[in-house]
Amino acid sequence: MAKTLLQGNEAVALAAVDAGMTFFGGYPITPASEIMHYITKINVKNKNVKYIQFEDEIASIHSIIGASLAGAKAMTATSGPGFSLMQEALGLAHMTEMPIVVVNVMRVGPSTGMPTLPAQGDIMQSIYGTHGDVFPIIFYPNSVDEIYKTTIDAFNCAEELMSPVILLLDGYVAQLYETVQVGNYNNLDRKRKPLGNGKRHFTGLLSKDNIPKTVDLDLLKEKLLGFKKKQELTAKKYNLYEYIENKEADTLLISFGFVSRALHAFKDKYSLFRPVRMFPVIEDLKNIAKNYKKIIVVEMNVGRYSSLVESLLKRDIISLPLYGGKIDFDYINEKLKNEL
Amino acid sequence: MNYKDYLKEERLPSSWCGGCGNGLVLKTVTQVFEELNYKGDEVVVVSGIGCSGRSAGYFNLDTVHGCHGRAIPLAEGIKAVNDNLKVVVVSGDGDLLSIGGNHLLHSARRNTDLCVICIDNEIYGMTGGQKSCMTKKDVVTITCPEGNRDIPMDVQAIIRSHGNFYARTTVFHVKHMKKCITEALNHKGFAFVDIKSVCPTNDGRRRGFKTPFDMFVYLKENFKIKEGLELEKNEIGILK
Repeated sequence: MAKTLLQGNEAVALAAVDAGMTFFGGYPITPASEIMHYITKINVKNKNVKYIQFEDEIASIHSIIGASLAGAKAMTATSGPGFSLMQEALGLAHMTEMPIVVVNVMRVGPSTGMPTLPAQGDIMQSIYGTHGDVFPIIFYPNSVDEIYKTTIDAFNCAEELMSPVILLLDGYVAQLYETVQVGNYNNLDRKRKPLGNGKRHFTGLLSKDNIPKTVDLDLLKEKLLGFKKKQELTAKKYNLYEYIENKEADTLLISFGFVSRALHAFKDKYSLFRPVRMFPVIEDLKNIAKNYKKIIVVEMNVGRYSSLVESLLKRDIISLPLYGGKIDFDYINEKLKNEL
Repeated sequence: MNYKDYLKEERLPSSWCGGCGNGLVLKTVTQVFEELNYKGDEVVVVSGIGCSGRSAGYFNLDTVHGCHGRAIPLAEGIKAVNDNLKVVVVSGDGDLLSIGGNHLLHSARRNTDLCVICIDNEIYGMTGGQKSCMTKKDVVTITCPEGNRDIPMDVQAIIRSHGNFYARTTVFHVKHMKKCITEALNHKGFAFVDIKSVCPTNDGRRRGFKTPFDMFVYLKENFKIKEGLELEKNEIGILK
C-alpha cells in the first residue's frame, strides 16, 4: 500500500493497469482525455500495456471487444457524446458475453451541451442505451481514492459477469486531485480461452452452440433470463454503497457522485445514502427506507435516479433535480426547507 | 489441413442464394488457407453485417460476426493483443466501404496488419437491393429507380494513397482471385482485396440479367488482368 496524489482520471488509468488491463482503445474527449494520456505515459515504460488512439468512439469500443476476445482485459473511456456512439457495440458485448469496462465521464448534455461542465444526465443511457433488453452493472464512485478501488472492482466484476461494466464518473471527480491508497487488490482471471483456441463463432445474432438461431423464441427467453440472473447474482457480490445514519432524522437524502460530496455537509440534519453501484439499484435500500418518512433524491439531471428508486421502493419519492453543472448550496438548502 | 477442414460442413449448404458470389470467395479463401498451410488455431475470421457478413460463421475456426461496418476495428483490437494470429476480415462493400468507410481509411493509414477481403457486389443484397457506395452511375436499383446519380467510391485511390496493398479481382477469375488472396495474406501490413461479385437476386434481375451465369459472363468480358502500378476501372490486378 502506498499513498500518492492523483487526478480522478489518472486513478482510473492506474487502477485499470493494476487490475490487469493490457489494452486501451480510445478517442479524445473532454473531460475524459486524461485517462488515455496517463495510459500512454504508462505504455512508454511498460509495453505490455497497449493502446490505440482511434478515429472515433465506435472504433474504440469495437477494438476493446476484439481485444477482450483475444484474451486481454480491455477498457475504453469517453464522455456523453462518445458514449452515445458506443451504444450499439455495448449490445454486441452483451450478446457475445464479452467482459469490457467502459468509462463515461459525464458532462452536460444533450448533444454538445455545455462543454464541459459536470453533470449526471447519463444514468438512463448507461442502463437502457442500447437496443433490446440488456442487464449491465454500473458503478459511480465519488472520490479519487474510491475511483481507484471501484475501477479494480469494475474489472473484476466484468470478468465475473462476462459482460460490459460501466464506470460512471462526472467531470468534477474525474478532474479532481486527491491522495489515493494504491495497491492491495485481487484480480480475477479470464474464464474464457482467448481467440485461436477453438472453432467458436461469436455473433451478435441470437445463437446456440455457435449456430445462429434467429427464429428460436424459446432460446431468446432463455438467454435473456440467463443474462438477468447472471447480472443479479454478480451484482450481489458488489453491493457497494455508503449509508450515513442520523438517528434524529426522519428524512433520507440520496445522492451520488460529486453531488453527494456537497450533500455530505447536511449529515447533521439528515441521513445520507450514496449508491456506488448505481445499477441494479441497491436492494438494501428497501430496508433502510423503512426508517424514513421522506426520501429525497438530489441529482444533477431531471430526476432519473429518483424514478429508479421509486420503482424499487414502490412509494413516493421527492425528486430534487439540479440543473446546469454547478452546485448551489443556498438553492439546495431552500428546496430542502420547503420539503420539511 | 484440407480446405474443407476450414469450413463448418454441418452448416452447409449456406443460406446464400443460387448464383451468389459469396460461396466462391469462401471456397477460394479456404483453399488459400490450405496452400499456406495455416493451422486452425493461428487464423481468425471477422465479418460485419450483410449477406457476406455471414461468411465468418461458415469457417471452422474461431470467428467473430460483429456490428455493421465495425469488423475492421474489432479485428484491429484482436491483432493488437495477439500479433501471432492471422486476422482476416471478410465482408461486403456496404459494410466495409460505406458504413465502415471511416475505419477502413484509418486502419489503412495505420497500416494495421490485417487482410481485408471485400466481396463487392455493388448492391445492398440482404436488405432488398438498395444502391451501395459501389453502385455504378446510372444503374437502376430499388432506391434509385431513375438511375444512380452518384459515382462509385474509388477504393483503389483511397487504399493506395497510403501506399497499402490493393488487389482487385472478380469471382469469375478464380485463379486470379486465389493469387490476390494469397499475396494479401502474405503481405505484412494492411492488405485490401476488392473482389467484384454478383447479386443475381436483388441486383441482376432488375438490371436485365436473365441468369446468374450472364452476370459471370459480364465479369469475364468486362475485366482484364493487368500488371502495373494503377488499375483502370475495367482492370484487375495487384498493387503493392
